[in-house]
Amino acid sequence: MAVCVSVIGKENSPLYVWVGSGREELHLHYLAHTGLDVIQEKITSVTKTPGDTRDLYLGLLYATEEYKVFGYTTNTRIKFVIITDAANTTLRDNEIRMMFRRLHSLYTNVVCNPFYIPGHQISSREFDKGVAALVAGN
Amino acid sequence: MSRQSMRANDPKKVSGELFTLTYGSLVAQLLKDYENVDDVNRQLERMGYNIGMRLIEDFLARANPGRCYDLRDTADKIQQAFKLYLGVSPSIGSWSPGGDEFSVVMETNPMAEFVELPEHCLGLRYSNILSGVIRGACEMVQLEVMAWFIADQLKGDNMTEIRVKFVKRLEDAIPAGED
Amino acid sequence: MAEETVFDFIHMEAVSYVFQGEKVSEDEAVSKLEHMGFATGYRLVERLTRESGRYKDELDIMKYICKDLWVTVYKKQIDNLRTNHQGVYVLHDNRFRLLTHMANGKQYLQYAPRYLAFTCGLVRGCLANLGVTCVVTAEVTHLPACKFQIQVQRG
Repeated sequence: MAVCVSVIGKENSPLYVWVGSGREELHLHYLAHTGLDVIQEKITSVTKTPGDTRDLYLGLLYATEEYKVFGYTTNTRIKFVIITDAANTTLRDNEIRMMFRRLHSLYTNVVCNPFYIPGHQISSREFDKGVAALVAGN
Repeated sequence: MSRQSMRANDPKKVSGELFTLTYGSLVAQLLKDYENVDDVNRQLERMGYNIGMRLIEDFLARANPGRCYDLRDTADKIQQAFKLYLGVSPSIGSWSPGGDEFSVVMETNPMAEFVELPEHCLGLRYSNILSGVIRGACEMVQLEVMAWFIADQLKGDNMTEIRVKFVKRLEDAIPAGED
Repeated sequence: MAEETVFDFIHMEAVSYVFQGEKVSEDEAVSKLEHMGFATGYRLVERLTRESGRYKDELDIMKYICKDLWVTVYKKQIDNLRTNHQGVYVLHDNRFRLLTHMANGKQYLQYAPRYLAFTCGLVRGCLANLGVTCVVTAEVTHLPACKFQIQVQRG
């Protein structure tokens, strides 16, 4: 089960955060933000080694006792973080990868709205609906 | 990298996206240039009118549709043109009893894909350029019509609907000196 | 192809629009077109790069512009890419689609920049979203050939 979905902009400011109800919001925000450092590391190390995967999906960034933090980055320097329960066994890596791809799609749709100003907070009904469907496993 | 992205991006689809995004940028620019939304609506209609007058040539060359004998023929051609240029198949319906008015109904509007109207723009007729295109194109084939949006999915309606009303047939200009 | 036609018409009408009115300055009008192009390019590249893997470096990105982007938008590749490897890139298009409607002749040459402004913005917007800040200018060499110069801003 995803407990947190976060979209972070180019300047590392959060553009969108969804937290499952009844979850510790602040703590999850913090975990998502910490994930950024790991993402940064992964991106820079990849460009230095030849034969890199060039994958947008970055896999598991790190895990705590309670949570697992996954990351994804776009060519346009946007980062997505999905946090699941550490105990989660139902969501396989491939499924998480697909969730990120859907999230990516949702994000590009928002950017293509001429009324959306890139870098600003995302407030879009369609995006909300999309994320809700995503975390519900639909 | 090239081959991978070429495969994934269907050129036809992306062309359509380019058009949609360009149109969006144009509308955004108009909103900056004009203080009120009604002026933007008017400007969009006028631009559409200019485009319609030239687009008709392109349409006649491509589709070779033959003459329009009555409004129903015109409606058919409009339907064809939407398919050709926007890639959608609207339905034509809601004819008035006198047969001088009809609706062009779209289930999806490619021009407004990805668009979500903000609160302060609810009076905006986002796709108003289409009204103008219809008017301009018809005028070039000697038909004066009025075209306007009566429903818009951007505003929560189920469909996007343009109403077209026949005003009069335009006679060829009578040379000066004749009555 | 009809899909290109609608873009061409919108583009032409946008050019007419910004130049309408007696008091409009050339710079102001061109700047509006450039801005429209920027917004379009920025958004377009967000969609287009969804499928491609991550780019390695600046040159990689420029090649992407010359090949993939140009083919997507103008149905052909850039004919020639030159760089001084210090942040300046020059892209030559021997038959730029948005100029082909213009008859060749000195009297039309002065209007050519109007038809390049949107594309300059488009390129700048694409690059901006890919993390490359730059200035893009264009010059008509001989209708319908033109060149776009990208100057990357470092620091």
